[in-house]
Amino acid sequence: MLDWNIMVHYFPFLLKATILTLEISLLSLVLGLIFGLSAALCKLARNPFLRMPATFYIWLIRSTPLLVQLFIIYFGFPQLGIDLGPFMSGVLGLALNVGAYNAETIRGGIISVPRGQTEAARSLGMTINLSMRRIILPQALRIILPPLGNNFIILIKDTSLVSTITLVELTLTAQRLIGSTYKPFEIYLMAAALYAVLTTSASLVLSYLERRTRKEAR
Amino acid sequence: MAFNSINRTDVPMIEICDLEKRFGHLQVLNKINLKVNPKEVLVIIGPSGSGKSTLLRCINHLEEPTGGKIFFEGTLINDSKKNHKAFERHINQIRCRLGMVFQQFNLFPHMTVLENVMEAPVHVLKQNKSEVRDRAIALLDKVGLMDKTGAYPGMLSGGQQQRVAIARALAMEPKAMLFDEVTSALDPELVGDVLRVMEDLARDGMTMLVVTHEMGFAEKVGDRVIFMADGVVVEDAPPHEIFASPKEKRTKLFLAEVLK
Ligand SMILES: Nc1ncnc2c1ncn2[C@@H]1O[C@H](COP(=O)(O)OP(=O)(O)OP(=O)(O)O)[C@@H](O)[C@H]1O
Ligand SMILES: [Mg+2]
Repeated sequence: MLDWNIMVHYFPFLLKATILTLEISLLSLVLGLIFGLSAALCKLARNPFLRMPATFYIWLIRSTPLLVQLFIIYFGFPQLGIDLGPFMSGVLGLALNVGAYNAETIRGGIISVPRGQTEAARSLGMTINLSMRRIILPQALRIILPPLGNNFIILIKDTSLVSTITLVELTLTAQRLIGSTYKPFEIYLMAAALYAVLTTSASLVLSYLERRTRKEAR
Repeated sequence: MAFNSINRTDVPMIEICDLEKRFGHLQVLNKINLKVNPKEVLVIIGPSGSGKSTLLRCINHLEEPTGGKIFFEGTLINDSKKNHKAFERHINQIRCRLGMVFQQFNLFPHMTVLENVMEAPVHVLKQNKSEVRDRAIALLDKVGLMDKTGAYPGMLSGGQQQRVAIARALAMEPKAMLFDEVTSALDPELVGDVLRVMEDLARDGMTMLVVTHEMGFAEKVGDRVIFMADGVVVEDAPPHEIFASPKEKRTKLFLAEVLK
């Protein structure tokens, strides 16, 4: 059955790698939010010079696999003289990827806020930016939060793909430990458990945030 | 400037010249000419689709006119000579002095009643928060909602929501107010409270443009009534004239229908 000694002995190594996975996740989360919000607002803009690049970005990301996107950034970009290294490449790839999905989520939320809200805000002399910030986005947030949370849970799990570009996060650490211990079941089981801890914590934080935004509603 | 202020009282609050609005091929407003003087209450009546809402929405530029000119206190509103940024600033300044109340209330559901009323004075006019709060509470008292300041709009009746919407517009201390069928979405028993608030406002000297189907209100509170049909002003007269002895056949038919 399970070799407990191996598990106890190697758990600290995996835990340490989990911290890197968490860092990658959080950084991509923040960047992915910025990319997503910008792309959503650009795609909603009337100006085609804003709308077209945003539409293209969202289409490009959603129609290609994340793994290939990571390979292009990590292996392909250096050919153009852009060598970001594994960490930056990984974070950028993940953030661009989740950003495109966030963009569609955020755009959907903004569209779902009734037009009368914008009209009321504008009739009070608010600028487009102010009405977006004070009136539309807070209401959209309530609708956006659950699907956005889903994107982030997927993001946490997708960080395992950056193991393929030599970033020694949780999955690659596990692989390396298996190379020296020949105990794949034990090691991968622990890695899976650690991912589950990350995603479950994220879910808990999200449902707390959802409850808070809903309480404000009525 | 001095010249301007000398003639202040002669300048109409709102002046509309040959206003046109088309949606694609649909001509919704066709050469509308109208003057509204300070403190005047103008009631706009007419069948559905005649362009009443579009007229109000052109005045505060929620709709962009396709022709003609609209002046607010002598200032051209739809000034096409301004570039995009300058026009934004220009129109926002005008909207600060020209309140609007909508049929569907459009309160901000994520804010309390008090926050709804305080929002624009604090964030648009950048007025002192505690002064705005005092004014907002006084306004809510005036519309009979003193006890609802902490409530969210979703917890209020339609009539209460609409009175908050009126208070929200008044908090900007506007020079004129646009009302677009503000009682049409209300249960009949809630209409009276809202109309009373509007009546008080008229008595206090507010310049008002009121689109309504409440003929009783039009007769009692209106200084002038215009009847619109198919995008034109068919008749323009004091209420007692238009209700007692309408000149135009279409006005007669319409009034016979609604007063039935
Ligand atoms: N955004 C729009 N796009 C196209 N057509 C529009 C638009 N807004 C209004 N219309 C049309 O313009 C006409 C006038 O509409 P408007 O809402 O001004 O009428 P109204 O007099 O306010 O009617 P009601 O009493 O039903 O509110 C209608 O035929 C309507 O379908
Ligand atoms: Mg209307």
